[in-house]
Amino acid sequence: MSGEPVAIERVRKRFGKNEVLRGVSIDVPSGKTVALIGPSGSGKSTIVRCINHLEPIQEGRIAVGAHHITTRGVEQQGRVLGGREVARFRTQIGMVFQQFNLFPHLTVMGNIIEAPVGVLKWPRKEATERATDLLAKVNLRDKAAAYPAHLSGGQQQRVAIVRALMMEPKVMLFDEPTSALDPELIGEVLKVIAELAIRGRTSIIVTHELSFARDVADMVIFMEQGAVVEAGPPTEVFDRPQKERTKAFISRILK
Amino acid sequence: MSVDQLWRMVWDYHDQLLSGLAVTFELSIVSMAIALVLGLIACFAALSRLRLVRAPAILFVEFCRNTPVLVQLVWVHFAWPAIVGIKFTAWTSAVIALALQSSGYLAEEFRAGIEAIDRGQIEAAQSLGMTSFRLMRRIVVPQALIKMMPGILNQFVTCFKSTSIVSIIAVQDLMYQAGLIASATFLPMPIYTLVAFLYFVMVLAVSSVVRVATRRLPNFGYFHERREAA
Repeated sequence: MSGEPVAIERVRKRFGKNEVLRGVSIDVPSGKTVALIGPSGSGKSTIVRCINHLEPIQEGRIAVGAHHITTRGVEQQGRVLGGREVARFRTQIGMVFQQFNLFPHLTVMGNIIEAPVGVLKWPRKEATERATDLLAKVNLRDKAAAYPAHLSGGQQQRVAIVRALMMEPKVMLFDEPTSALDPELIGEVLKVIAELAIRGRTSIIVTHELSFARDVADMVIFMEQGAVVEAGPPTEVFDRPQKERTKAFISRILK
Repeated sequence: MSVDQLWRMVWDYHDQLLSGLAVTFELSIVSMAIALVLGLIACFAALSRLRLVRAPAILFVEFCRNTPVLVQLVWVHFAWPAIVGIKFTAWTSAVIALALQSSGYLAEEFRAGIEAIDRGQIEAAQSLGMTSFRLMRRIVVPQALIKMMPGILNQFVTCFKSTSIVSIIAVQDLMYQAGLIASATFLPMPIYTLVAFLYFVMVLAVSSVVRVATRRLPNFGYFHERREAA
């Protein structure tokens, strides 16, 4: 497993008159981890949501392995994919949401094996075994029969990560995975991301946890007002930022 | 009139009363079953992206909800033969009118239930590679059903009560039988009082079952939690 490269080229997106992405280009080589940082409203979440086509784009293109997201939708070898094929494409891209978005009517186990069994057609037994294995790795083995409402936020997010990992995605997207958590629960989720979720795959993490970004990212990208302001290895962006705006943002957060 | 006399009257006419009761139950169950199917179809049509599907569905729902059930009943029974060209029996007309009425309310209930599902649920399902059909069937509808259950059960109670007007087109429900007995005995007071009491007991029983059922619905902890939070 090494993951697919993701190449974002001059992507633009508007919501009505509000231009949220103004020509964003980001290259994520296969198997690398990129951290997107920046003030809220800078377009970080939007760009991540464009990668699995939850949001259509209005200009530019995004290459995910052999697939291309263009203004026409998701394309493969120049052909625009239909709904079923887009769904199939998404199985290769795991996504973790700020609000966890676990299915409240399914148990933890039900949440985790729903897509492997229903979409990928794995045998239930095999899916359950793999799920049990992964749950043990995130210290939630005893919660398999619990419903999401009975779990803490940190536990829910760990289940959501396992749910995404079950699909064996080549790319993982994290949209502010710890922003909805109480401070004391953030650590357990970051640990799972660092030790389990980003290993051996291409990852893009939108986060406000700068020290985490410094530890796990191969590249840090600072965005503001829908554009990339500065990009580089964490040591450079955090320790020797070139742009005034980057400096200001980092010192404001670290204060 | 003594209690004795009342009992004798009930005994004398118990066949008629029982058959009236049976018709009342039959009507409410059959029309509710049809309304559930109609309501579901209307709801999905009203949520459709195609205007040609959506517009008539919305019109249908609004028509059903915004005409009195008595008017619908008379309209179906006396006007449809001229419009559609088929003459229905009174029983069929009653079922159609009651089903129309309930289906309008149910369609709205379904729609509200589906629209109340958090956007994040759909995005999570999409990101796991579910097609729109699968995510409807496995994620949206099950959650919506749980939320809609109280509304559906309440509509059943309403439908049950509405059946009492079908005697106007000579469907032989409980109310109709009561009318017959009243004119045969020249004693409207005791028989209508008895019927009022019967309806009261039955509706109370049904609503109590509904209330208990609603509380015992599988809620996976989360409705409970929400109630506590509120």
